[in-house]
Amino acid sequence: MENAFEIKNLNLYYGQNHALKNVNMEIRKNAVTAFIGPSGCGKSTLLRCFNRMNDLIPECRIEGEILTETEDVLAKSTNVVDLRTKVGMVFQKPNPFPMSIFENVAYGLRCQGIKDKTALKSSVMESLKKAALWDEVKDRLNENAYKLSGGQQQRLCIARAIAMAPEVILMDEPTSALDPIATAKIEELVQNLKREYTIVIVTHSMQQATRISDDTAFFLMGEVIEKNTTKVLFTIPADKRTEDYITGRFG
Amino acid sequence: MNRKKLRALKDRLLNGVTFLSSGISVVVLSLIFIFVFSRGWNTLNWNWFTNDYWSVNMYLALPEGSQSSYNKPSDLSNTVYYSSKYGFAVTDYIDEQKISQIKIVYIDPSSPLLDASILTNGPDFGKANPIKVNMLVQKFTYMDDVGISHSAGSIIKQNAAQFIDTLETKSISIKSTYVQTIGGGIRGSLIATLLLILLSLLIALPIGIMSAIYINEYASHGKLTPWIRSSIELLTGVPSIIFGLMGMLVLYPITALAGANGTSILLGSLTLSIVLLPTIIRSTEESLKTVPDHFRSASLSLGANMSQTIFKIVLPSAIPGILTGVLLSIGRIIGESAALIYTMGTFINDDPSILKGSTSLAVQIWSVMGGEQPNFQLACAISIVILAIVLFMNISVKFIANSLRKTW
Amino acid sequence: MRTELSKYKNSKRYKSKIRQDLFFKSIFQLSALLSSMMIVIIIVFILVKGLQPFIAGYQYGTRNFFEFLVGLVYRQDQGIYGVGFIVVNTLISGFGALLISFPLAVLTALFIAKIAPKRLADAMQTVVELLASIPSVVYGVFAAGSITVMVKNLGAMLSIQTAGGSSLLAVMLLLAIMIYPTITSLAITSIQAVPEDIQHASLALGATTTQTNFKVVLTSAKSGIFAGAILGLGRAFGEATAVSMVAGNKLFGPTFNLFDITRTLTSTILTGLKETTGVDYDIRFSAGIVLMIVILISNLSINLLKNRIGSQK
Repeated sequence: MENAFEIKNLNLYYGQNHALKNVNMEIRKNAVTAFIGPSGCGKSTLLRCFNRMNDLIPECRIEGEILTETEDVLAKSTNVVDLRTKVGMVFQKPNPFPMSIFENVAYGLRCQGIKDKTALKSSVMESLKKAALWDEVKDRLNENAYKLSGGQQQRLCIARAIAMAPEVILMDEPTSALDPIATAKIEELVQNLKREYTIVIVTHSMQQATRISDDTAFFLMGEVIEKNTTKVLFTIPADKRTEDYITGRFG
Repeated sequence: MNRKKLRALKDRLLNGVTFLSSGISVVVLSLIFIFVFSRGWNTLNWNWFTNDYWSVNMYLALPEGSQSSYNKPSDLSNTVYYSSKYGFAVTDYIDEQKISQIKIVYIDPSSPLLDASILTNGPDFGKANPIKVNMLVQKFTYMDDVGISHSAGSIIKQNAAQFIDTLETKSISIKSTYVQTIGGGIRGSLIATLLLILLSLLIALPIGIMSAIYINEYASHGKLTPWIRSSIELLTGVPSIIFGLMGMLVLYPITALAGANGTSILLGSLTLSIVLLPTIIRSTEESLKTVPDHFRSASLSLGANMSQTIFKIVLPSAIPGILTGVLLSIGRIIGESAALIYTMGTFINDDPSILKGSTSLAVQIWSVMGGEQPNFQLACAISIVILAIVLFMNISVKFIANSLRKTW
Repeated sequence: MRTELSKYKNSKRYKSKIRQDLFFKSIFQLSALLSSMMIVIIIVFILVKGLQPFIAGYQYGTRNFFEFLVGLVYRQDQGIYGVGFIVVNTLISGFGALLISFPLAVLTALFIAKIAPKRLADAMQTVVELLASIPSVVYGVFAAGSITVMVKNLGAMLSIQTAGGSSLLAVMLLLAIMIYPTITSLAITSIQAVPEDIQHASLALGATTTQTNFKVVLTSAKSGIFAGAILGLGRAFGEATAVSMVAGNKLFGPTFNLFDITRTLTSTILTGLKETTGVDYDIRFSAGIVLMIVILISNLSINLLKNRIGSQK
């Protein structure tokens, strides 16, 4: 299978509110898929289905399937904790733990019960290198993570996710709280990471989508209007609404 | 897989530990309540609230040759013994020192007991002092048919039945009696506590409210305000015993000017009013903050000045907060002991007044717990009263907070 | 219109209105200053009074300040006043109580704020509030009537003679109960204030809810939890009536044996109760100063500890 996820007839409700309407989509492996659309259109909601973060919302009800090679993500029998080790996530605002840089990256591994110091050390180093943060922090791994700049914190959060050796990394508007230089660094990082990981990224910025993504899905009011390769979607959109959006007529 | 099982086990263990810790607190709370209620419940009755703490002994003369026949009231129970010769009824009674006593439960309206007068030498000699229901009979001196006087009563180890039997069968007339009032009551402390609450609030409320107004309305951005706030906040961390020391040292001279000599309710109130300041200021300030700014602007724009705005617009909206402060303060006053031991004294006073020393309920507990024989029954009974009041205050505070949330 | 207004501005009514405004402002200001002065008054007066016995020319015979501070015997009947051992006793009983209470309180707070279902959490919250509202003298009665009995029986089981159960252990247990609600409610507040996003981050990394609670939530709530510990410790050191009901009043020390009677600063201050003049009167203020200093220093050191833990991993 060359798809990381296959979404089939997915409907999601927040109480009475029908937030995602009959979504069908495939997410290609080792590619960057961008979700675009105006605020409140359901793109972040769909993202949070991949690692079942919506479970934390008490009123939330989901129907349909999200298939991976081995299982249905949405099935009751799926072990959510295991799922989340395979599907990492980076949030909108950098959210490091109030611990040292080292402990932040080692956190997930420790939670899996890994205690071996050398294993932890090497995997922390490797993750920080992959997240392009190693050179900046290698001398101060024991410092509190809050002392890093916003961009560095976000890369730390990426390193933290990479440390778990996931198959997929979900990114929920990872650069919206960052300045342009930090944003550029993260975008470059995403380009490098896609060789190893499947990346799904929610973004507000269409430019960002065109710069970094291979595929793009356009969301509007809980519906996926159009999904295609980024090149096609932005040059010859099939749907009028997509065209309106990417040409800036609304949104 | 093994690692996963271990993790699940560890998680369950940790959750179990938090559950257990919570359980311990429930156990402790129940133990406290069980202890206090099991020891104190029997002491609680209406008379206990109105009785003096100190029992008084009285030596009284009874009018001689006043024997006649009185009708027994029909509603006396069979543990009550009636003297038809003298028109009164008694029953057995165990006092709090576990001594059997004979208690008067009924007196006929024309009984000679009502014509008793004081027989002790002194200025009160001969003064009428009717015997009352609930007094304890120590001794009756009676004359037999050959004119010799004898004693009857608990002093010669008689119980109620024997006592009445003696009077009915042997006595021709009664001469004198030793009676005792029942002690162990809390009337004095109750009154003292009420006075203490009234006075403390009378002093602390205006100062506290005005301070809160200044901090919140006039100087919310002033340079001094953070200092004022934190020095008031510091007061909450001062142990109450330090307040007691301070009261004795700083406030005593003030009460001495008012004529108090030594510890007094006034001194206790002054001391407690300082203890209460942070509570009152904080709760007033919190409710001042909820008054929307546009109320103030509207009032000011209509030509009202600052103080008019405060009194007419801001303060009325702050009343629930002030009320919360008052209730919390009352709870604090009732529970306070260390700050009062030095300032109000530890002598249980049955006749409290503002310029004299007396105990609040809490300090009465401290007093009866001191000494060689701590009186757990009385202490626990008072504890029940204190707990009931404090709980009532807390529930009221919650109630106010909830109703506030609804209206805004 | 304008003349009307200017007339009004010159009128007596307008002037009195301004005067009234100023008047109220100044009494409000006065109250605020008075309220904030209280702490200064307390400190200054107790300092002055408490230092008197150590100043040359003291009318009841000057004492040596150093001997007072490090003395290991306190006997009013012989005129020997040494609070060194009392300070040690106070520290032992306070920190002992904290040691018992702190883990229980933090775990309970976690249970209430994160683990328990809503109903149970509400009930537990009420339990904590009830414990907080019980006055100290009631705790004292409870301790004198039941904790001491427990300690006595425990001592008897271990064939240790106790003074009717009044002991260091009884003081520690009593204080542990008394400071428990303080620490718990502060811990609950700070646990509830932990931002959701880092909890989500932890869950998204494949941590279980329990792991998130213990590793991320507790770490993030650290400063609030420590603030609770400081407050609890202050209460433990300053608690007077209840403690003196179960402390016994040892004349020398320090007391390290859990079953031996002890003496704290507050129980010492309460023993001079009947005095109205003389050294015994004044020395209580000296003990008061020492008490405030003990509270201050322990606060500072816990803060230091907190920062140290914060900067490390």
